[in-house]
Amino acid sequence: MADDATLRRLLAGIGRGEADQLAELYDLTSPKLYGLILRIQRDRALAEDVLQDVYMRIWQAAGTYRPDAGPPMPWLIAIARNRAIDSVRRKVEVQGPELESGEDWVARLIDPHDEAVAFQNRDALAACLSRLDPRHRDCVVLAYCEGRSREELARRFDCPVNTIKTWLHRALATLKTCLEAVS
Amino acid sequence: MTGPGGPDPDDPDLRAAEYVLGTLDAREREAVERAAAGDPAARARIRAWEQRFGPLAEVVPAETPPPRVRAALLRALPRSGRADAGQIALLRAQLRRWRIAAGGAGLLAAGLALFVVVGPSLTPSGGRYLAVVQGGGTVPALIVRVDLGTGLAQVRPVNAEAPADRSLELWYVGAQGPRPLGLVGAGQSEVRLPTGTAPDGVLAVSVEPPGGSPTGQPTGPVVYTGKLLAD
Repeated sequence: MADDATLRRLLAGIGRGEADQLAELYDLTSPKLYGLILRIQRDRALAEDVLQDVYMRIWQAAGTYRPDAGPPMPWLIAIARNRAIDSVRRKVEVQGPELESGEDWVARLIDPHDEAVAFQNRDALAACLSRLDPRHRDCVVLAYCEGRSREELARRFDCPVNTIKTWLHRALATLKTCLEAVS
Repeated sequence: MTGPGGPDPDDPDLRAAEYVLGTLDAREREAVERAAAGDPAARARIRAWEQRFGPLAEVVPAETPPPRVRAALLRALPRSGRADAGQIALLRAQLRRWRIAAGGAGLLAAGLALFVVVGPSLTPSGGRYLAVVQGGGTVPALIVRVDLGTGLAQVRPVNAEAPADRSLELWYVGAQGPRPLGLVGAGQSEVRLPTGTAPDGVLAVSVEPPGGSPTGQPTGPVVYTGKLLAD
């Protein structure tokens, strides 16, 4: 993955309307962003549309990126996740077979030999997630990594949507308190 | 905050957390984004949650996208040459796919925030352009004739449908963001174009409270879009 300085330089060029800088940013970052989008928007044709739309947004918004708002990769990731979530929330909920990805995202978080360090607070997040009620933790992680809606989570855990809302709220409040205490 | 009933679900920090997590529905997401647009504190809450969850985004494996996405992206950039039929076909194909994804329920019924902005690039044609503004259907919602020479546009509604108790508002979306052009009425009307209107902009129609957006920016879902085509 590209370093912050390179990404900042490219974003500045894109902000000036330099198309070749967008192409370079695309080459450096699109596998990461496409990976994130595809976990959320599992229809590949739609995921490709989302990816293109994300880079059009980056093209339009690069001029508003401020280095003091944080490193560039989380900024790019937020755009990609938001567009991917918008694309799945927009559609009418269709009751379909539950897709099991089988990924253990928390285990990956703990796995020490995984890539990059754009985010400092990885251990803290892993520790605080592991303290949550296991079902609450699964809801949070499946929502974040796979874009699961409350309705999908309710079907998966075979409980009312309101219960999922309560679990999420409890988990998020606990997580915040824990992260503030740890960091 | 964590009383016997659990955390207060209306707590703005929990809304920000759920926004970042992705569990809000389309309407709730839109409300959070609208609030954040004018509120630095709300943006800071969202950014703080993005940072908290950031390490999870990091562990999702990368996947190389097919080369056609890169090609389509570069084709769609304003600098890369003339507008071509392929680009317009791409926009149409995207609109079609979104509509299929909406389960055929129709754009309005699905409350779609369809906002496809693909920057085109067009050869000048004496400053006159035509935009066919449409949703997913085959019948256009509006036909807009734009004259950059006079700075005026003729808006002719064809099949624009407003939901009950709502107005449709027409926007020009250029480099500076959306600029209001006025409400879409039943008959033909003439509107003045904002300064800086360029042929690479997009026309969009959003659903607004009666009388139009109270904020000067689109607040409801964008239900129709159209690009300027050289006339």
